[in-house]
Amino acid sequence: MQIREVFDRRRFVLLDGGMGTQLQSRGLQPGEKPELAALTMPDTLTAIHRDYAAAGADILLANTFGANAKKLAGCGYTLQQVIQASLACARTAAEETGALVGLDIGPLGELLAPAGTLAFADAYDRFAEVIRLGAEAGADLVFLETMTDLYELKAAILAAKETCTLPVFTSMSFEARGRTFTGCTVESYAVTAVGLGADAVGINCSLGPKEILPFAKRLCRSVPAGVPVFVKPNAGLPNPDGSYNLNAAEFAAEMQEYAATGISMLGGCCGTTPAFIAALRDAFAAHTPADKIPVRRSSLCTPVRFVDVQGITVVGERINPTGKKRLKQALRDGDSSYPCAQAVAQAEAGAQVLDVNAGLPGIDEAATLEHLVQELQAVTDLPLQLDSTDPAALARALRIYNGKPIVNSVNGEQKVLDAILPLCKKYGAAVVGLTLDEKGIPPTAEGRFAIAQKITAAANAAGIPNEDIYIDCLTLTASAQQEGAAQTLAALARCKRELGVRTVLGVSNISFGLPCRGYLNTTFLTMAMSAGLDLAIMNPNTPEMMAAVRAYRVLTAQDAQSADYVAAYADVQLQTTQTLKTAAPQPGSAQSGDALYDAVRRGLKAEAKGSVFLPQLLQAATAAQAAFEAIKAKIAASGQATGSKGRIVIATVKGDVHDIGKNIVRVILENYGYDVLDLGRDVAPERVVEAVQRTGAKLVGLSALMTTTVPNMQATIEALHAAGLDCKVMVGGAVLTPDYARMIGADYYCKDAKASADVAKQLLG
Amino acid sequence: MQRPKPAVIDRATALRYMGAAGWQPDAAAAALLDKAEALVLDAATPRAALRLLPRSALPTEGQGNDLRRHLEGCSHLLLMAATLGGELDKLLRRLELSDIALATAADAMASVLLEQVCDALEAEQRAYFLQQRGLYLTGRYAPGYGDCPLALNDELCLAIDTVRGCGLAVTEQHLLSPRKSTTAILGAADHPVTGYRAGCATCHLQKKCAYRKRGITCADS
Repeated sequence: MQIREVFDRRRFVLLDGGMGTQLQSRGLQPGEKPELAALTMPDTLTAIHRDYAAAGADILLANTFGANAKKLAGCGYTLQQVIQASLACARTAAEETGALVGLDIGPLGELLAPAGTLAFADAYDRFAEVIRLGAEAGADLVFLETMTDLYELKAAILAAKETCTLPVFTSMSFEARGRTFTGCTVESYAVTAVGLGADAVGINCSLGPKEILPFAKRLCRSVPAGVPVFVKPNAGLPNPDGSYNLNAAEFAAEMQEYAATGISMLGGCCGTTPAFIAALRDAFAAHTPADKIPVRRSSLCTPVRFVDVQGITVVGERINPTGKKRLKQALRDGDSSYPCAQAVAQAEAGAQVLDVNAGLPGIDEAATLEHLVQELQAVTDLPLQLDSTDPAALARALRIYNGKPIVNSVNGEQKVLDAILPLCKKYGAAVVGLTLDEKGIPPTAEGRFAIAQKITAAANAAGIPNEDIYIDCLTLTASAQQEGAAQTLAALARCKRELGVRTVLGVSNISFGLPCRGYLNTTFLTMAMSAGLDLAIMNPNTPEMMAAVRAYRVLTAQDAQSADYVAAYADVQLQTTQTLKTAAPQPGSAQSGDALYDAVRRGLKAEAKGSVFLPQLLQAATAAQAAFEAIKAKIAASGQATGSKGRIVIATVKGDVHDIGKNIVRVILENYGYDVLDLGRDVAPERVVEAVQRTGAKLVGLSALMTTTVPNMQATIEALHAAGLDCKVMVGGAVLTPDYARMIGADYYCKDAKASADVAKQLLG
Repeated sequence: MQRPKPAVIDRATALRYMGAAGWQPDAAAAALLDKAEALVLDAATPRAALRLLPRSALPTEGQGNDLRRHLEGCSHLLLMAATLGGELDKLLRRLELSDIALATAADAMASVLLEQVCDALEAEQRAYFLQQRGLYLTGRYAPGYGDCPLALNDELCLAIDTVRGCGLAVTEQHLLSPRKSTTAILGAADHPVTGYRAGCATCHLQKKCAYRKRGITCADS
């Protein structure tokens, strides 16, 4: 068979069936590594391939599913030996029928950060090594299968695309609920994999033909016409004894339903045998693949959240340092907990996408944006709008983003289009186009429309379809250019009507320099929504603006039965008081926290005595923290010196992901008035050293839960000493003891959060 | 395989995990626990994978005495792994940013939920193996307890193929991810077996154990 037949879709292409179950039935013992079969039982392996080829399989997958450095460690063979031998067995069988041979690649067996600790770049390297060896050994295609983590799949697709020129087939496994183990939806998988350049996409394993059918239909609707779709279901569902509940004839009968779905390749997974493939061949001999009818939609996604941009969609604007002193400070400090908390708050307020901007003079924007995206992905399911004009920053953020993001932004300048559009295409991102160019912002709607036309043409030429282009006709400040608002809205309506693209506006800009900005913002937002606005970049924590959005959805029949509106406002009592500024209370000062500190201290003492319990103490601490945060924001905004009692750097050490203990310590130390820089979890020693060097902190707190990660705590302490830093180290964690703490070089052992506050008091006052 | 969620999470155990054993929660704490329970039950996606293998399927050298004693007289191993899934991890991380009290309650609730899921699975398997295979099972023993190294998780998860079976993987430091996950080894024999619980002698927490200070052990509580 020629590979182009896969893409012609003139006939059904047959894939092969189960390998693991075949090896077991032909002599592989429990505990033996199946990936070594090509070296330990080559004749048996070749015979399995030969049986699949004889049954009609057009593509044979080499026995390389688990062939990676981690799974082969200590097996006595190199990765190269295993891959070469496995491909050779498949090739021997394939030559007899003209079948193609696929380099089969399964999951690495470790979860990527933030779920696990494997870095995205390391996952990429492991896949790239396998793919390079497979391509050298003569594979006809790369087959990435049984993936359950979209992030891991992204690493593998990028590795394949950047390491070889072979076609890349991808396949994920879904549970009956229509999501993978990690919560990935069929649609998120489809748009992300295809956006990254997957040549064919499919679903395999986990379920039988009947259960996979609805997901296969959704997959067919979600990928472009030119991308073939395949399925490799299990032989039904498992019986308690580990066998499967369908025989070959039953399997083929259930598979018949796929003939009309638009899929064009089929095979089997666990429990299927050459007899199943032969039954498929017979069952599909008279059929040709049906046309796929993809739905063209504008989408953004993370694995868990698929946002179909239909009607007004709210983009939270709060993670942008412009005009926000507290966020500026956090970005300079490398403190991601503040922006992450902002993300959580915006999501709760109704944001559907989050804008992320790390552009701040004096910081490394590319590194900061990349780190911020990683941290945000660990706490929010909302898709991100990567907001930067720096191609290097965008390239790094796009690479590690999990899903399909939107880039904010390009404009009409040719050099900007040339630098950024190829990045959007490579990483499958949507893009915002600002209607300005080297000559500035055209004052009229016509001028802006002309730039929008140019941007749209350039994006199309770069391979980005209209549904992924969002034109920003630019909100001008009403106080300065009062006629501008009408021009913006006229241009917006025209772009939508004549170009068939989506539109976006930063709404709040309209009201700069005028009082009671909420009135203007809300009115302008409402006008823009009427003109056809799709993405509103705004502050979702402003109640009246979210109210306008929800009301608009009711009045345009997008919110069926007003369900969301009722859910949001059924229990709300409106108050429309206007208070004169002169009567407003004065903001707090650095001293305002003193009474709170005292209260917290009394609480901790009571807890130590057993008269207050941890749940009560933490509830009080949470309330106090909110108060402190408000005070901090006031102080940051006023430019006063902070009332900090000293700075403390805390981290959960490398390799450890259990950090609730450290987080309790953070809250308590903040309650005590210390300025805590929390580096998060799985933190490398170098990052702790760098943070202490930068901040001059005199106290470092390290946490580790397990025996296997305490050595990294020791390594961190040694690194701090080696750097000659004048700081003390306190440690805590379930398996630590005072002796153990001393042994690894810590200055203090803290049995709980109060003990850490006591150490801080002793050292920093 | 997906596993059912119980309707309620055991409060008393959750409070014990929060260092408030035996305490009658006040109204605010009770409300906190209610909220935590609802959030945890919503975000958790319990799944398990298991496999019966001959005793020889796991290495016995270098795994300490506790596990060897646990498996005395057993011809087979029932290896078990269970997880509450990655979406729960994300919920916990979110709560740790916004409300540490709720986060702590949810964390404790999640640990209890995981135990409940394992208990239900164990009970089911115990009945199944006795009726269908004539095999008796010991209790669950997890790597990392007593003198059994955490590193045994690597072999165990490979043997069950937990990545494919329930979405659970082992990190380089032999920790399980997602965070709320557990593994267990049960011995199986054709005669009743009890297994052996790792005692205090080899426990990592021996010197700081709150139970021992009160003159009891965690097994008694």
